[in-house]
Amino acid sequence: MKKIYNISIILFILCFSGVEGTAQEQDERAALQKQQQVLQEQVATLKREQDFLLFRKTMYAADSKYLVLNSEKKTGQLMYKNRVLKDFRFTPSRNFPGAVQSGMLVLTKKSEGKTDRNALIFGTALIIQWKRAVVPKREARIPAISLTKKDMLSVFSAVEEGATAYIVR
Amino acid sequence: MKRITLTITGILVVLSIALIPSSGFPEDRIVPIEVLRSKVQSLQQEAARLNEENQGLRWMLKALEDDELYVVVDTESNQLLMRKGDHVVHRAVCGTGSREFIEEETGRNWFFETPLGSFTVLGKERNPVWIRPDWSYVEENMPVPPENDPDRIVRGVLGKYALLLGNGYKIHGTTYTNLLGTHFTHGCVSLGDDDLALIYQTVKIGTKVYIY
Repeated sequence: MKKIYNISIILFILCFSGVEGTAQEQDERAALQKQQQVLQEQVATLKREQDFLLFRKTMYAADSKYLVLNSEKKTGQLMYKNRVLKDFRFTPSRNFPGAVQSGMLVLTKKSEGKTDRNALIFGTALIIQWKRAVVPKREARIPAISLTKKDMLSVFSAVEEGATAYIVR
Repeated sequence: MKRITLTITGILVVLSIALIPSSGFPEDRIVPIEVLRSKVQSLQQEAARLNEENQGLRWMLKALEDDELYVVVDTESNQLLMRKGDHVVHRAVCGTGSREFIEEETGRNWFFETPLGSFTVLGKERNPVWIRPDWSYVEENMPVPPENDPDRIVRGVLGKYALLLGNGYKIHGTTYTNLLGTHFTHGCVSLGDDDLALIYQTVKIGTKVYIY
């Protein structure tokens, strides 16, 4: 009986000493997990920033005009190398904020509509249009941004198919 | 005796289960803490590397982003901007090429379009003189005089100043100020007197002009 009692006491102590260790480990684990999450977000932000910096570096050396669109400020710039040629504002479509990721897009089609209802189509990712641009039906669901007629005419005539646009948030 | 042993064992089992850490996802419990430490360390290293690379890229881009003044001409909206980086220093309404086509009986033809691209101010002139080209006679159904005919020299129609862009193209004044903001020139960029004076005073030889 005494033997069993002694064994129980030893097991109990062993068990609690293990628990104490687990509690410390638990704290560290929680801290590490939090740190990991913060670092993952930081790395993702830095990668996005690097992508944009590399894009700019490439475009500074290239001989083509390009667009930089700020989805938060709802502003855009027509650029050539390191020069800003034009600033403009835009109105995003309802599905724009959620549907369009930051990054580079390529202009796949310049769609010339009647009476200046032109559109710049970036694959299935984005359409830049004048407010009342006529877009083919199959492209109607693509997220879009609308420019004033005057700005749209300038931007439309300035860029060629294959030109790039970069969306920053 | 057996009962006591079983009771104590039961208590210990219940305690062990109750005191096992319960936070986090099941896989977090599985990941050894050393692995977690190593993950955090490698993320810290990656963040530091990216930070350093981005800093280098920012410096590189900064070096390319000079603070020089430059001129931008939008031939679609007939607007001229003097810019310094992101800032617009001056905004002016201008006139650009009419995009009209004329043809002489002999077959010679001209298309009046402002050339697009990147240019440099090659020279600055005060009281520029217009040497009438052949097309100006053809346009008015007049006989084209010989090349050095003094009749070709016209004063006062290009305003007080001109900035030379090469190949005969200029930024100059106009007597048709009511047409500024439209496509009415034969290819040059026209400005009103005040805007022209300001731009002439501000822009230096070598200044870049971007026409699109």
